[in-house]
Amino acid sequence: MIRRGLIITFLLLINFGFSQEKNEVEKRVKKNEVPETALEWLKDAYEKKRRTKWYFQTDGEEEVFEAKLKHKRHLHSIEFNMRGVVQNIEVLIKEKEIDEDVYEVILSYLKETYTKYSLSKIQIQYTGQPDDLEDLIDENELENLKISYEIEYYGKTETKDELWEGLFDHSGRLLNKRIVKIKNTDNLDY
Amino acid sequence: MKYIYLIAILFLCLNLKAQNDRFIFGFFPEASLKYNISEKYSITHKVESQHGLFDSNRLNDELQYEHSLTDLQSFIGRRLTPFLKADIGYQYRVEEGENTHRTIQQVSILQRGSFYRIGHRVRIDQTYFQEESTLHRARYRIKGQIPLQGRELDPGENYLAISNELIYMIQSSEDDLENRLTAAYGFYIDDKNKIEIGLDYRTDDYLVKDRFRHRLWFKFGYYKSL
Repeated sequence: MIRRGLIITFLLLINFGFSQEKNEVEKRVKKNEVPETALEWLKDAYEKKRRTKWYFQTDGEEEVFEAKLKHKRHLHSIEFNMRGVVQNIEVLIKEKEIDEDVYEVILSYLKETYTKYSLSKIQIQYTGQPDDLEDLIDENELENLKISYEIEYYGKTETKDELWEGLFDHSGRLLNKRIVKIKNTDNLDY
Repeated sequence: MKYIYLIAILFLCLNLKAQNDRFIFGFFPEASLKYNISEKYSITHKVESQHGLFDSNRLNDELQYEHSLTDLQSFIGRRLTPFLKADIGYQYRVEEGENTHRTIQQVSILQRGSFYRIGHRVRIDQTYFQEESTLHRARYRIKGQIPLQGRELDPGENYLAISNELIYMIQSSEDDLENRLTAAYGFYIDDKNKIEIGLDYRTDDYLVKDRFRHRLWFKFGYYKSL
């Protein structure tokens, strides 16, 4: 009896649980699913053959391809549109690698806004034309590129205590921020 | 599905040794329901149940169904930071012989990697018996969760969950150790619905002479949050 009761309980629980919300998707794709233009640009810019992982991403509206690879000991994420045209490059950097003046501006914002904070993930984002982005990688040139910083940080105020993702411009001024929603931890806690 | 085979083989290998020890196999369904009562506080109810199918202590090696126990748990938790949560809980255990009460205190820490998540759980609990003295346990569990499609776990995708827990227990100056190793294939339906199917391999009576025990549970877990 107990066993039958349990099975029924499980079935009921599962039944009322299935209401799929599916908008954000990021999945691994094979190289041959990526537009030729993207592969060619990547080959020209990064030259040497290297291990590249390809992903398809969508937030429900915009769809992009993303290549992830290591270059000069940094993790690069290169975003392409669906036609294979490069859009931007994000490079994962350490706190001390941010330009000193920019870092000061970012820190002063955090000090003013939060009683406690810590930076967890910093990416410098370069946006521009394919040729200019290529020059950044193979010639280290910054000409015509827009620079911004995407920073994930923990910030505590008197009333709020959250993980944030802030976008800062080339000089370190905050452009916008959003709360990073942490996924449920019920399966890790109980 | 190949992961499930992999997990099964791993556990079979672990079981090949020590034929003389006591070995138990069975089913272990569990389900939890979590809901927030305010921005910081949440309530979690959990039911878990062990159903034995095989016990090497029985005279003939036949499969025989036996309801081992059912636990009913409730927790109230407070999120201290996005990565830190403290809970107090109560458990009522339905078991042959004597039903028991247990009080639980725990702290869980979330560690986020570039693509994986690790949950650390430190828990102490006290089990109360009518005749015997209180059983005290201190336990630490580490559980990792790795997405199997891409770097982010998105709705409809699957993950691998591996955990190990070490438990130290003491009851009127007699102490013992237990270890619980689990591996599960997870279905992330969405953030409010997760299913984990896998194996839970428990060994205990480490410190008791000539009484080492293995228990292998086929686990089915459903995590629901409102």
